[in-house]
Amino acid sequence: MTQPAAGGRNERSRIMRTPKSVDIDITDRCNLRCRYCYFFTSSADVKDLPLAEWLTFFEELNRCAVTAVTLAGGEPFIREDLKEILAGIVRNRMRFSLLSNGTLIKDDIAGTIASTGRCDHVQVSIDGSIPITHDSFRGKGSFYQAVEGIRCLQRHKIPVAVRVTIHRQNVHDLENIAKLLLEDIGLPAFTTNSAGYMGLCQKNTEQVQLNTEDRHLAMTTLLKLVKKYGGRVSASAGPLAEAQGWLEMERARREGGSLPGRGKLVGCGCTFSKLAVRTDGVIVPCNMLSHIELGCINRDSLAEIWQNHPALWKIRERRSIPLSQFDFCKGCAYINSCTGNCPALAYALLGQVDHPSPDACLRKYLEEGGKLPEEVLG
Amino acid sequence: MAEDKPLINPSVILREEFDDWAVLFDPDTAEGYALNPVGVLIWKQLDGSRTVDDVVAVVKENCEDVPAEVKDHCREFIADLVKQGLAGYEVAK
Repeated sequence: MTQPAAGGRNERSRIMRTPKSVDIDITDRCNLRCRYCYFFTSSADVKDLPLAEWLTFFEELNRCAVTAVTLAGGEPFIREDLKEILAGIVRNRMRFSLLSNGTLIKDDIAGTIASTGRCDHVQVSIDGSIPITHDSFRGKGSFYQAVEGIRCLQRHKIPVAVRVTIHRQNVHDLENIAKLLLEDIGLPAFTTNSAGYMGLCQKNTEQVQLNTEDRHLAMTTLLKLVKKYGGRVSASAGPLAEAQGWLEMERARREGGSLPGRGKLVGCGCTFSKLAVRTDGVIVPCNMLSHIELGCINRDSLAEIWQNHPALWKIRERRSIPLSQFDFCKGCAYINSCTGNCPALAYALLGQVDHPSPDACLRKYLEEGGKLPEEVLG
Repeated sequence: MAEDKPLINPSVILREEFDDWAVLFDPDTAEGYALNPVGVLIWKQLDGSRTVDDVVAVVKENCEDVPAEVKDHCREFIADLVKQGLAGYEVAK
């Protein structure tokens, strides 16, 4: 039994009709000023959009069959009307996640979150096994408050997803951090990243960002932790993801081959499944590409932007750009197994979205004296 | 009788994708179920006003190569939706 297919097919029709999920920076405010926060470029606070604007937008998300939103900021738990925001999400048939520093999570709001039954997880940032490490860039007292926030979520049986941002002050503490999170606190898993050259990190690069030696240490330690804890330690960016990706690339090079689907700017697929919204209601491809303005909530159609906005298609179509066309990649032995990595980091470092990101370039890392974790390669 | 007229669970999201297939997403369980184009057509008829016979008539009108057992297939499909909590029947007052 078949139903006749609709006509008018073209390449652009091979995309979801609407985004599956939307990342929303629900507030510009935060009680902390972490020195590598990608969000803040200054310490100035601006006024948040009123609740009514978000509730109207959630109705559009419902009509678009969006299934999930991620609330971030700023610190989402700082919004006094967070309960009403969550109620609006639930009313409009969506699930949600929250990205938090953990310090403002208390029983009252945790109880509300648990009662919805719609929370995929609350992600809390933990960057150290002891206060001095965690607090070094996040502020005094933030470690104990964040851990208490996690305990509070656990009491209410809310899934907790901890993210560890690796920087120069905690790169020697990774094994202890893993023990704290997985053994002492008893989390099922955690993810890692490293401080990227964005937001406040641009002002504090020397203190924050890993140098070549630090990166090698981070990669080696994290691979050991993966061996010990299995999939309970993972990453989609940062030293662990780089170690896993680079080892795969090195194996491909040694075998004289390439990796399928690589050799082009395929490092990001986010714009095929989701969009983002800034705190001022401006719709953007990603909260790390917030300079590309696609429209405004409650004024422009989300579905229309998703299906037809030229700037969004330009980002999607970067996946067809071969790395061989960049001087940066000329003569690279890894060119046919490389993805070009994150476009937002390429923009932050070079001012160009359609360019490989130098930050996660294996050849550059090796040229600067970096080494791959040898024992894994054998 | 209301029992003869199935009704979708209003909390469930129908996400139609580029190839006329779709996903039913239940936000309360985070479970997704794939629907082929005929399944999508049937889903859209389940508004509490149509009997299974009415739904079968719509399928026959809109689909090609409809098998003789179409009514059984529709009943099974709807029963499966009900079993998964994706559809139900209005409770008689």
